[in-house]
This record gives sequence, structure tokens and C-alpha cells, in this order.
Amino acid sequence: MTETDAFAADLLRGNTDTIVLGVLRRADNYGFEIHKTIREAAGGDHEIKEATLYATYRRLEKDGLVESYWGDESQGGRRKYYRITDAGRAVYRARVSAWVATRRIIDTLLDVKDQ
Amino acid sequence: MNTDIHRLLDDAFAGVDMTPDARDLKEEVRANLMARAAELESAGTAPAAAARRAIEELGPIAHLLDDAPASGVRTANPATPSIAELHTRNKVRPKPGFVVRTTLLSLVAAGALTLATLAALDVIDGGASAVFVAGLAAAVTLGVITGDSLRQETTTNHALPTGRAVGYGAATFALVSALAAFGAFAVDTEAVALAIAGGALLLASIGLFSWLGATQTNRHKAWVRTDLRVLTRFETDEAAAARFGIYSGVIWIAGIGAAIGLAIAFAWWWALVVLGVCIVITMLILATMLFGSAKPNN
Repeated sequence: MTETDAFAADLLRGNTDTIVLGVLRRADNYGFEIHKTIREAAGGDHEIKEATLYATYRRLEKDGLVESYWGDESQGGRRKYYRITDAGRAVYRARVSAWVATRRIIDTLLDVKDQ
Repeated sequence: MNTDIHRLLDDAFAGVDMTPDARDLKEEVRANLMARAAELESAGTAPAAAARRAIEELGPIAHLLDDAPASGVRTANPATPSIAELHTRNKVRPKPGFVVRTTLLSLVAAGALTLATLAALDVIDGGASAVFVAGLAAAVTLGVITGDSLRQETTTNHALPTGRAVGYGAATFALVSALAAFGAFAVDTEAVALAIAGGALLLASIGLFSWLGATQTNRHKAWVRTDLRVLTRFETDEAAAARFGIYSGVIWIAGIGAAIGLAIAFAWWWALVVLGVCIVITMLILATMLFGSAKPNN
């Protein structure tokens, strides 16, 4: 992995909680589909590791930002679904506005011209 | 079905202490691995290779069980800050604009309610229409105050999403305007339309409140959830919750019986007095039982 890749991966990893909340905001979902959504959005280059995601679910659940429930028995296993709570939505919105504000600052400081 | 997954998963969990937490995690991982293996297989990978690759992508299981469990066992930490310290650290000050807005709207609501009551008691002129219009003004202001308050972040709660806050505001509006319509109907019993409107608004309010209540999820901040268990006594003390349910049932069955009896024997408004008393008693019992001193068990 090049230094640039590591930088991009760090940025992505630093926002895992918010990214997962963003995915769950659309609909309740389970681990595999959440991972897949992120993998596809990242274009396969800088994906978030599955193990990181399991740690994220546990942290989010402990903080009351998501709730989990077991789905119906499917082929070979029961899926654990996650649902975003109202608290999770509030945190998501606050983080998104913080992100938008910070992005503007960094763009200005790094002298990024709009593409 | 890819059976290799189960064998590889058992291998991965070999030597792990199977606590309920670890067992849950294993089941969760199993379903996700099955889905991932199925995806790889449909892309042309052989079943055995698909299972191996899915497990490899997962990484070491021990790492997943490293961090604190999602629920249950919390190791005692002597340096745990007190509730007062946590409260200070997490304090959120109300926005000045919100405070001013709420104060002014409360004054308007109080004024409108006073006018409605005076008109209903025939102290001031205006009759049924004055009662209804003043009641409607109170309903609008109380609805706005409710929605606005729920939109605010507080020290213990996150802000409610706009849609749900508006929903609670609308339900409050419907409830208070239903009362206004019934009040106006009591003044002028010829105006049947008012009674019908009141009934429709009351049903709408009950429906909306029920839906919002049934779909409500947690709003408490993490520090409240982990350290202020005392605040939610009914969650920890099921006997207290059951007692509260029985008390409420008895109060309301007796109250509704008495209300019907008194309304038939004397005058209809006795029913309102009795129901008002029932609400007060229920609230007092709720206050003493929910926030009362919890038994010092752990």
C-alpha cells in the first residue's frame, strides 16, 4: 500500500461510525450488506475491514446510536440486523455538518480548486 | 449450502470462551460469511475456496472480542466519575433564541387558554366561537412549543429528527384543538359539527401519538444510558413497574365508573372533575414510583 493509499484509508477509517450510520439511515441492514455497500462505494480500493465494522457495530450499540435484532432464519444462519435510533440520527446529522464545515476549511488550507 | 463455512468458523472460534456475547457474535459472523461466500460462488469461485476467502477477509476473531462487550458485564472502575461530574461535563446550554421563543409562546398559550376558559364560563361574551378560536390559538402555540422543544439537543437527550418532532407537535395540536372543539360544543350543544370535528381530531391525535410511540427509539445520550440507571427504575425493578400498572388500572377503572355514575346522577361536568383527579393521582404515583429511591441492591 502506498503512502497515499494509507492516507485515504485513514480518512475513511476515521469516519467509520458516521459512514455506518449513513448506510443504516436508508434502511435497517445486516453486516454483509453494510460491508458490501461501503465496499462498492469505495470502488474496492480503500475498503473498511470487516473486523473494524464488527467493532463499530458494538460501539454504536453500546452508545445507543443503533439497535440490533435477529432476522428470520435464512439459509445457514440468522442475520443480525441493525436499526438506527433517533439518537443515532441526531449524531449522524451533527457529524455530517461538522464534516461539511471541516472539509471547507481543509479545502481552503490545502488550496484545493473545485474540479 | 456451503458447509465449509461452519467448520472454518468453529476453527476460528476454537479456544474462545463461549460467553453469550461471543455466541451472539459467532452467529452474526456466520450469517454474514454465508452471504459473502454465496456472493463469491455466484461470481464463479469454487465453494471451498469461497468459504476460505470469506474467512480470510474477516481477519482474526480474537481481535473482535478484544474490545468491551456490547452489553452486560462492565468492569468496576474506581475512577468512574460521579453523576454530577458527568452532568457538568456533558452539559448542553439551551439556545437563547429557543428560550425566548418558548417563553413568549407560553405566554400566548396561557392567555389563549384563560380566554377560552372565561368564554366557556360565560364571564366574557363570545360564546362557542370564542371558546373554539381561543382554544385553537392555544393548540397551535402548544403544538409549536412541543415540536420546537423536541428539536433541541439537551444535556441528557439527542435532538429528535425534524419529521418526528413535527409529528409530536401535530399530535399535540390535534389533542388540544379536540379539547377546544369539545369545550365549544359544551357551550353550544346545537353545534354538532364541533363535536364531530372534536372526535375526528381526538382520533387523529391518538393515532399519531400511538404511531410515534410505537416507532420511538432511544434518544438518551450514552453517558445517561450507562450511568444514570436510577432514572429508569421500571427497567431495573420489574416489580415496581408491575405495581404501577396495577395501581393505574384500579385508579382508572374506579375513576371511569365514578365519572359515569356522577354524570348520570348529577351533572355531566362531574365526569371531567373525576377524570381530572384521576390524572393527578396517576401522575403523583408515577412520580413517586419512577423516580423514588431505588433499593440499594448492587
